[in-house]
Amino acid sequence: MKALRFGAILLVVLLVQTSLVAKLSIFGVRGDVVLLLPIVAGILGGSDRGAMVGFASGLAFDLLLQTPFGLSALTYCLVGYGVGLLQGGVLRSTWWIPVLSALGASAAGVVGFAVVGKVLGQDSFIDGRLPKIAIIVGVINAALVLPALRVARSALPVSVRSPRLVPR
Amino acid sequence: MALSRRTSRSRFTLVLLVLTSITVLTLDFRGSSVIRELRGAAATVFSPFRSVADTVFGPVGNAWNGTFHYDDVRRENDVLRRQLDDARAQAAAGAQATKELDDLRRASQLPVLSTIPNVSADVIAGPAHNFDHTIELSKGSDVGIREGMPVVAGGLVGQVVQVTGGRSVVKLITDPDFAVAVRLATSGETAVGHGTGDGRPVRVDGVGPQPAVVVPDHEAVQTSGYDRAIFPKDIPVGLVTKVEATANQLGQSLTVEPVADLGHLSVVQVLLWEPPR
Repeated sequence: MKALRFGAILLVVLLVQTSLVAKLSIFGVRGDVVLLLPIVAGILGGSDRGAMVGFASGLAFDLLLQTPFGLSALTYCLVGYGVGLLQGGVLRSTWWIPVLSALGASAAGVVGFAVVGKVLGQDSFIDGRLPKIAIIVGVINAALVLPALRVARSALPVSVRSPRLVPR
Repeated sequence: MALSRRTSRSRFTLVLLVLTSITVLTLDFRGSSVIRELRGAAATVFSPFRSVADTVFGPVGNAWNGTFHYDDVRRENDVLRRQLDDARAQAAAGAQATKELDDLRRASQLPVLSTIPNVSADVIAGPAHNFDHTIELSKGSDVGIREGMPVVAGGLVGQVVQVTGGRSVVKLITDPDFAVAVRLATSGETAVGHGTGDGRPVRVDGVGPQPAVVVPDHEAVQTSGYDRAIFPKDIPVGLVTKVEATANQLGQSLTVEPVADLGHLSVVQVLLWEPPR
């Protein structure tokens, strides 16, 4: 049942990404709300869930792109795991910790995607636009993470073991 | 104890997922047909949902672009008016020459680009990701579009890489994976052009060294159309804007600005021409 709900959420997020977010460029940069899924899962469910949700959402996104297949899966899975690890080390809950986590993790996800892509021969992934892309994607996801957490709490297949990062 | 077990399980999960990702990446790099079929199936399943989402989110996107890109649209409009005037003048001057060239080609039984049937299609979406170099068209296999067909808009835009019933995905010539055999208009020298990223020119490598091959400024670059080439002959690719000697001085590397305005595509033509298999 939870997997079904996750599937439905993933489908909606992919539709929002391809039909809306991809068309609303800011300074020539498109947002990446699919990357929010592993971040939210990592915050709510820890590194294990973050990695799994990152892998699943990345792989689904890869199906719709013409970039190397598996690149988003690899990057998003590492992002989810990293956010989950960070969540384990936080002692006190404040509203800005998820915001900062989303900002940092999204920027790291974009840079990670470009670096792994470069290793795989996609030389153009690392150029002068990369810092701008990382910052804008990070800021967009930071702005969206709090509402996304509220939605995800009831919908994602995460057992909220240690919700210290989640503002009440 | 429980925490340590949980941490080691997390690491195990991560390692497993990373290895799976690397396996999938390897399969893709080896050109596995399974991956291509999976992508095709996903596009077919996703397409109807996408159409609904486009209808729902369309007004939001239009409002956003109308609000934040109004100046761009005005500037683009001015440029287009100027280009239209230039094109009218050139068309008048070139019509007779084109007719004579077509007659000569027909007489010599060479294929003529203008005789290849084509289908016009709207560009309904740009790339879904910052590192993706594709556009999506409003028509697909229903009107005869197949994978591998060339897409043009004044000049070469790209190649169809994925088709469903009512949509098709085109890989742009700016994609670093995109390669095209080209010919220089004046010298007839052939070489290979490839994309270098979003908004960047095409790079043509493998041109012979000077003085054997002299490349004038704004030299026209076209598809070569050699036997078994993936594009028919004479599709305009771009104009040379920079010529550099390669590091070993054994050849020249050209920077080519695409003729097609890839940043502002709204309507394109798909040439119903399939590369030989």
